[in-house]
Amino acid sequence: MTTVAVLAILLPVPVAALIWFAPDRLAGRFAVLVLAIGATGSLGLALPALFDAPVRAFDGIVVLDAFGAFVLVIVIGVAAIAVVASPAYLRHEVALRPRDRARYWALMVWFIGGLSTVPLFDSLGLLWVAIEATTIVAALLVGFSRTPAAIEAAWKYVILGSVGIGFALLGTLLAYASSVRVLGETSDALAWTRLVSIAGSLDPGLVRLAFLFALVGYGTKIGLAPFHTWLPDAHSQAPGPVSALLSGATLAISLYALVRFHLVAVGTLGLAFSSTLLVAFGLLSLAVALPFIVAQGDLKRLLAYSSIEHMGLGALALGFGGPVALGGLALHLLAHGLTKASLFVAGGGLVEAGRSRRIARLSGSLSSDPVDARAFLGGSLLLSGLPPSALFASEIAILFGGFTVGWGIAAGAASILLALTAAGFLFHVGRVCFGSSRRAAGPAPGPARLRGIGLALPLVAVVVLGIWTPDPVSEVVGRVVTVLGGGGG
Amino acid sequence: MTATVIVDVCAAGIVAIGVLLAVTRSIGRSIWLVAGQSTLGAVAAIGVGVSLGLAHLVVGGALALVAKAVIYPLVLRTMLRASSVAVERRSYVGPRLSLVAAIAIVFAAGVATADLTLDSSLGGARALPAAIAAMLTGLFLMMSRRKALSLLIGLLVFENGLALAAFALTYGMPLVVELGILFDLLIVIVVGWVYARRMLRVFGSLSTDELRSLRG
Repeated sequence: MTTVAVLAILLPVPVAALIWFAPDRLAGRFAVLVLAIGATGSLGLALPALFDAPVRAFDGIVVLDAFGAFVLVIVIGVAAIAVVASPAYLRHEVALRPRDRARYWALMVWFIGGLSTVPLFDSLGLLWVAIEATTIVAALLVGFSRTPAAIEAAWKYVILGSVGIGFALLGTLLAYASSVRVLGETSDALAWTRLVSIAGSLDPGLVRLAFLFALVGYGTKIGLAPFHTWLPDAHSQAPGPVSALLSGATLAISLYALVRFHLVAVGTLGLAFSSTLLVAFGLLSLAVALPFIVAQGDLKRLLAYSSIEHMGLGALALGFGGPVALGGLALHLLAHGLTKASLFVAGGGLVEAGRSRRIARLSGSLSSDPVDARAFLGGSLLLSGLPPSALFASEIAILFGGFTVGWGIAAGAASILLALTAAGFLFHVGRVCFGSSRRAAGPAPGPARLRGIGLALPLVAVVVLGIWTPDPVSEVVGRVVTVLGGGGG
Repeated sequence: MTATVIVDVCAAGIVAIGVLLAVTRSIGRSIWLVAGQSTLGAVAAIGVGVSLGLAHLVVGGALALVAKAVIYPLVLRTMLRASSVAVERRSYVGPRLSLVAAIAIVFAAGVATADLTLDSSLGGARALPAAIAAMLTGLFLMMSRRKALSLLIGLLVFENGLALAAFALTYGMPLVVELGILFDLLIVIVVGWVYARRMLRVFGSLSTDELRSLRG
């Protein structure tokens, strides 16, 4: 049963090659079918891991603990939003050539399939390979529209992403060098579960270097300042559904990779070393995002800088540690993924309908594009952490958790930065949604009711999670916190 | 004994080619140089693998030889022929200053790795300074050059350093991981090639000076 589920998750990546050659009108249906199989497999594997014990398969190559399963569920949720929004994007994209639809779907299947394989592997080496593979396909999707700006963004993404992921590989190598000394040259010397269990006897010098390089490498992918410079370009130039995946799922996946290194470093070096670095880079990301959000003139870049802010908060939460902040982190990754994905889809719709990314030119969207603008306004209020949003609950938990475990000054600084950023963000959102429109109301992209429901569902989920935590959810969050606290899954 | 000699010679060659690349302005010659550098890295892995009887090192080295010393350079040459730019004319840092920087990088790498204690059973550990030097030289090339092709060459130098570091630190990782890494790097170059072609078509040149519209 487990084996079948793993194979279902692995299926989309090879099938993507077939979709590339499929006829344009069939590619979409084929892609949705394959992704549905993959999602079923993912849920089949994730549910026992979330509610019971870590799932193992293939001789321990595949190990899915509660945190991995949680991230996998986030990927599935965000991917669903992106897939539902894709037909509307393809209808509106003007620069499409023949066969581009099939290529788009092939790349999407590869991208989503690749993202879902990342949490499966126990080996830090295979984890790296899977993340690198998603980086490459994401680069192809970022430049999909072939405009000069999109090519520029994709080029920067290829170059900076490769260097970043190269540093992550060096971190992985150093981790291997540290464990080979203890374990000998066995094939599981890179297995994370093994590394954590022997963390106490690893060489501190090598582990310190390994974490530093992993922080720079995966930090580049997470978009932590000062390694974030590619992110606003790539996230703003990519097609809306791709931006949704990049911001909602890829960032969470990259943070997942960094968590693995963090836990090994904590086991070897104690809490102080990696936690301090994470708090420092988290605060720096919050501080860097603030001025760019306040002075932003481009709608999609506004959302991209907000992702830097939220990932900075994620790093901060991981650095704080303690059950309260870590529980906040889990909830935050989920709520941010769902909200930001919907915002990129709705914002992408506004940009396509208004034929401009400039915030000043999009004013009055509520009257010209009511469906997308309502979702955009609602999502923005939730994203800014206003109650009853789950992001309100998660941010309070993270900051409060920081205060209780002795990071009072950092948590205080973070709360001021968060409040200022939220004010700046909502100011721009107000400009986009209200005011008088320059355009007459146009047709909504695609069937309006379906699109409205597709955008509203994840936002409603975020509101519900903000008011009420059902027992299964709090049980799952508890298990995730156990893993994040270094207690195994 | 022979294994250490092979590693030493190859590591020295990799560092020397890195310095040469920093002062070379002809992109065609740079491609030859980086192909030579990749060959040395692969030879080190194959040589050590043969003399110590480690099959996975020989396989990994042979694959690296095919991919990085033959396929990548051929792809880069095709791109060079399609483009009108053959010389890195106005790099951000001139050739003389580049030479100074490249030599400084070699010394810095030596100093930085001096007090890192690595297990003596990992005989390749002596190649670690060379590996770090090659990685930093690659980064320097990427930061100081303007042409898309030069950036890809810098990326290859960076990867060569990374591969040598992998070898120096571990004598090779499990073969599955090694294959995955090699495959991923191959696709990176292909994707870089795809975008370089698009840049050529849209901007009419391979100069990254055109890529300045996204700010703020």
